[in-house]
Amino acid sequence: MREITYMQAINEAMAEEMERDERVILMGEDVGAMGGIFGVTTGLFDRFGPDRVLDTPISEMFIVGGAVGAAMTGLRPIAELQFADFIWNAADETYAKMSKWRYMHGGQVTVPMVLRLPEGATGGGGAEHSGCPEASMLPHPGAHIVVPSTPADAKGLLKSAIRSDDPVAFFEHKMLYATKGPVPEGDHLVPIGKADIKRPGTDVTVVAWGRMVSLALQAADRAAADGHEVEVLDTRGLRPLDVPAILASVEKTGRLLIVQEAPKSGGGASEIAAIVAEEGLDLLEAPIRRIGAADVPIPQNAELERFAIPTVDDVQVAIKELLA
Amino acid sequence: MALTTDTKKDIYRTMFLAQAWEQALLRLMDENLAPASYHPGRGSEGTEVAATAALRPDDYLLYDHRGMAHIIAKGVSLVELFGDFLGNDLGTTGGLGAGIVHVCKPELGVLGQSGTLGGSQLIAAGAALSSKLRHTEQVTMCFFGDGAANRGTFHEAANAAGAWKLPLVFVVQNNGWAVSVPTSYSTGGTFHDRAIGYGMTGYEVDGQDPFAVYEVAEEAVERARSGGGPSLIEAHTVRLTGHYASDPDGYRSAEVRAAYAEKDPIVKARLMLLEQGLATEDELRGMEQTALDEVQTARDKALTGTKPGAERLHQRVYV
Repeated sequence: MREITYMQAINEAMAEEMERDERVILMGEDVGAMGGIFGVTTGLFDRFGPDRVLDTPISEMFIVGGAVGAAMTGLRPIAELQFADFIWNAADETYAKMSKWRYMHGGQVTVPMVLRLPEGATGGGGAEHSGCPEASMLPHPGAHIVVPSTPADAKGLLKSAIRSDDPVAFFEHKMLYATKGPVPEGDHLVPIGKADIKRPGTDVTVVAWGRMVSLALQAADRAAADGHEVEVLDTRGLRPLDVPAILASVEKTGRLLIVQEAPKSGGGASEIAAIVAEEGLDLLEAPIRRIGAADVPIPQNAELERFAIPTVDDVQVAIKELLA
Repeated sequence: MALTTDTKKDIYRTMFLAQAWEQALLRLMDENLAPASYHPGRGSEGTEVAATAALRPDDYLLYDHRGMAHIIAKGVSLVELFGDFLGNDLGTTGGLGAGIVHVCKPELGVLGQSGTLGGSQLIAAGAALSSKLRHTEQVTMCFFGDGAANRGTFHEAANAAGAWKLPLVFVVQNNGWAVSVPTSYSTGGTFHDRAIGYGMTGYEVDGQDPFAVYEVAEEAVERARSGGGPSLIEAHTVRLTGHYASDPDGYRSAEVRAAYAEKDPIVKARLMLLEQGLATEDELRGMEQTALDEVQTARDKALTGTKPGAERLHQRVYV
């Protein structure tokens, strides 16, 4: 199968869906002629024109709130916040308008939009450009939370998100943009809310999503050299959460490690740990472990950033401790 | 549509109907049948009805929290409105709404209301962008008060609307008070002057004169429809009651409240119709009795609705 980058996969998904459905538009800061500050939207402005690809003012509330209004009235917008951290600049529009308007108005309108959020530490982005805020959406039901870890998942999940009548927050990790992997051509769809076993194993379950999946896979390789079979379960996001798949894996291995890039407190890992404690405590042969970033604002100094965010070594050590 | 005698009479009839509906709602609250969290619209009917009357049925409306006159003018039935306040299945939201409601009627262009005031400004800009991109010639009208005009949401929505010449009409109902704080204390400059800074056309109009409001709104709506871009209408109006139904309104002096009472737009419009010989006393009384009967019938019907059970909680979160 051909290999393309995570960024190309996202670009291809948007191009294919814009070709397929003229109601799909793209709006965000610098997404037009420039092709986005990370290059993700390259070529779309030339191909689809200024009525389909809109460079917005630096107005995050309008980017999300305007997309909600457009989605309610017949379009299917893909709105891009330049950095996922800007979700706080458009907080009411994201956590309330996008997520709640369908429900609070009696389900009479749909809000079929995708909010794309480039996330994660990249080596020097600093505290306000390095976040992974996907779990911040958990206490605000109404939108799906999708976080792809591979180019194939990025394409298939984004195409499903654009076709969904529900709003979808789509977190794409900036450090994955240049990573390559096999991606089917054409109509490759991945269902939202279905976990994927990225590596089967019998001894420990490592649950991860987004960039942390690659750390989990590297740590699993190291564990294999020690004779341990680690199962890596990629949740592909946080809502809907594929709880049956997580419990089935824990039933098989009896040991659970959850890895997230966001600070350890209050994240997706805490939620998953709580669910497994409630619904699967009797499946566990060891206490649940969580790995997350240090509970500090991510420093801009890239060397300090490396100390703050999870590493393959951290995952490897935790696996060893779980098996000890 | 020119401001014909029939249009004037229809505006009066709708204003009267809206206040009659509101009186019936307040009675339901007194009877403990509806929750007492409502922001009465007495005093603002002139702006809400007359501006909305300039819209086509398929135009979009983002109404504000004060009163229901704009929603009634857009054609939502009184039974559905009562149903939303009673929280039963006859309401537009199927039993979700109660008190401060989120009436929604897409087939009439009624898109809803932001619980956080000002949030509707951005949704309205998005709806206007949508109709522009879809080439439907639909206009979006967005109501908000002087208080919500001071949110940052206004800046982002107004700038996008001006930059892209969106078919959008902002209606600022300036009643001089953001809950307890006077506009003179909270606001620099005037609202209609802001229009210039965003590339919009600005209007200042006496919101207590519904016929003047209609003429301004019609001009703004037609400009938007023909591609001429957005407008901002500042309508000076009054709040005849407290901010919400049980607000003791102690921050406004008796003199101030008495002066406002002289500015009831319904009384003013009635006098104009009579003095200009456009309607007779008998005709108006007949119109008013019909409205009162309509409200009574709607109330009786709405009270037959069923309140939802816990199963309603999880319906319509996701498609």
